[in-house]
Amino acid sequence: MSKTITLNHITKIEGHAKLNLKIDKGKITTCELSATEGARYFEGIVKGRKYYAAHEMTSRICGICSCAHVVAALTAVEDALGLTISEQSCRLRVLLTLAERIRSHATHLYFLALPDYLGYESALSMAPEYKPQLQAALRLMKMGNGIVKLLGGRDLHPVSAGVGGWLKLPKQEEMEETGKELLKVKKDAIATVKLFAGLKQPEFESDAEWFSLVDPNEYAVLKGKFASGKSSFEKHEYRKFIEEYHQAYSTSNFVVKEDRRYFVSALARLNNNHRQLSRDAQKALKETGLKPPSKNPYHNNLAQAIELIHCIDHAMEICKREIKQEEMPEITPRAGRGVGAIEVPRGTLWHEYTLDEKGIITDANIITPTAQNLFAMQEDIRKRMPSLLKKKKQEIVLDMEKLIRNYDPCFSCAAHFLEVKWL
Amino acid sequence: MKTDKNKKLKVGVYGITGCSGCQLSIIFNEEEILDLLSLIDLKAFPFIKELNIDEEFDCIILEGLVANKGDLEILRKLRRNSKMLVSLGACACTGCVPAYRHFTLKENYEHLLYKKQEELQDVEPSPHDEHVKVDYYIPGCPPDKKEILRFIKGSVRGVLPRPHQNPVCIECRRNGNACLLDEGKPCLGPITTGGCNAVCINGGFECWGCRGPTKDMNLDLMIKMLRDRGFDDRFIQDRMRTFVGLKLPMLERVMQGPKSKVLQTRFDGEKKFYE
Ligand code: SF4
Ligand code: SF4
Ligand code: SF4
Repeated sequence: MSKTITLNHITKIEGHAKLNLKIDKGKITTCELSATEGARYFEGIVKGRKYYAAHEMTSRICGICSCAHVVAALTAVEDALGLTISEQSCRLRVLLTLAERIRSHATHLYFLALPDYLGYESALSMAPEYKPQLQAALRLMKMGNGIVKLLGGRDLHPVSAGVGGWLKLPKQEEMEETGKELLKVKKDAIATVKLFAGLKQPEFESDAEWFSLVDPNEYAVLKGKFASGKSSFEKHEYRKFIEEYHQAYSTSNFVVKEDRRYFVSALARLNNNHRQLSRDAQKALKETGLKPPSKNPYHNNLAQAIELIHCIDHAMEICKREIKQEEMPEITPRAGRGVGAIEVPRGTLWHEYTLDEKGIITDANIITPTAQNLFAMQEDIRKRMPSLLKKKKQEIVLDMEKLIRNYDPCFSCAAHFLEVKWL
Repeated sequence: MKTDKNKKLKVGVYGITGCSGCQLSIIFNEEEILDLLSLIDLKAFPFIKELNIDEEFDCIILEGLVANKGDLEILRKLRRNSKMLVSLGACACTGCVPAYRHFTLKENYEHLLYKKQEELQDVEPSPHDEHVKVDYYIPGCPPDKKEILRFIKGSVRGVLPRPHQNPVCIECRRNGNACLLDEGKPCLGPITTGGCNAVCINGGFECWGCRGPTKDMNLDLMIKMLRDRGFDDRFIQDRMRTFVGLKLPMLERVMQGPKSKVLQTRFDGEKKFYE
């Protein structure tokens, strides 16, 4: 018996992707997951532009993580320029990143993932019966949006974060108000954890190793080493790491060396850093019965829900701090190479820029979480398939989509994977 | 009284190559989104819906630019299937940042096209109206989320909101912002269509022109003002082309043209910008 399953337009994900599966006599002969987005060549089009254009342009890689691309690009450019930003500037970038994570997780959990579990085609069709849950989701999204707008000046593609610091700072009263709002939506985050903990997830274990930033000081956001349970790398060593983990495939794909497949995600963060979660997030984690480390990608949704509580707690801490007026530092362009590695909704994001002495970008490299996860996703599908073969095509498709959506892939970002040359 | 479902406006929301930010902007109308959906018959929205009914639409709202052959096919098909086609966002209306590729050296990105198949699929990045007729534009990167709401509500009533005409400066002044051009910064507000409430300037940042040039812009004057502030031609070109380069085909000609036509302007301040 041979079967071909082609999902030409996978719905309810960020961006566009397709899955091509061929099964012959119970064996999987083809399993290809790929982005169908047109290539946008961001690494190519920033070349020749000055260092201060990188974050504005690369922000357009992805709407749902535009703040992430802005912060990663700024971090990399500042690293290349040898510029250190103030503690306050960094703290507010953390807040921007957390706010984006809150809205991204809420959007993904309720609008893209949940309908699969409740047997609806979309969150919209859930509205009559699950209105309170959807309203909770919308409140969380609004919270994240509100902070992004307050700090970044816009809902998406923020403008107020610049090289060296902030072009505009929020007012103290606005921060206090935000802190109060955060406290109000915390119950929605707690309810989200309960809701997702109650969903039945398949038993499954990925062969991939997990990686995230690990920072001794906090549940890592913008700083730390890139680490798994087994190994750890400084961000500047990332090319070495990638060399170790990937090799170029003759045609298009990247394959990861035997046993060296890895994933980045909320689950990877939880696996590495769960001891640094806020008290209430730890409590919620305990109640779910999930015991990190977990290699079951279906647990990623629950990990995101737990992160919602943590992000709210961490954001509330930041909102309590005093806002001081600060001048932006003087910037003198210089030649150099800089790397930015930060934790964004879907895992670790890498930006790297090389500047010449005038501050013109001569080289750029961007590696998004989904690009890193693509192989793990594809191989998980391959591994999971045999146990599903007896099911109807429709059911297989739903299961595959669930698995893919659990990773929360972003193919707007991953259209990039076609553009990165792994060495 | 409930309206007959079949009489509701049949709407489809789709995306081709883009960042999903425009589609998110629709959903990010957190307070109105659920009610809004009771006004229309949302036949398709693959970003958040599993079931997408591909048929005759009254209105297609489409994010993203044409960057490969697949995009072009989808654009043409949606155009055929819909009474009205709405280009949503800068990618759709102007090509946005991805179309900046037209103004960069081929050698900068060529090597990224290392997969043969990709090369064959590749289409010069372009906005919708280079390929099909567009009935309505909702510009901006990202578009203003309230503007999308106003459009949908308007089309349900059969009265489309009038497109904005005035430059960003008008909204900017109304908000009481200090003028960034006066501070020696490269703001493109004077030649850019408003409707965004000058959101970038409110946030301390110059307008990059994402909503596209106004119909009656004075490009000559804008260039002179930037030159007066010490910005060189390379900078001016790069900045103007980042979001809407394809909509400024006359840029090079105007920059090289005689400067005498230009009005008297003077700037005594200092350039204040990154070196
Ligand atoms: S216009 Fe901007 S927000 Fe919309 S898809 Fe393009 S890059 Fe994203
Ligand atoms: S800051 Fe820009 S948009 Fe505002 S008035 Fe000045 S030139 Fe116009
Ligand atoms: S101020 Fe300019 S760049 Fe900003 S949103 Fe408005 S038109 Fe776009």
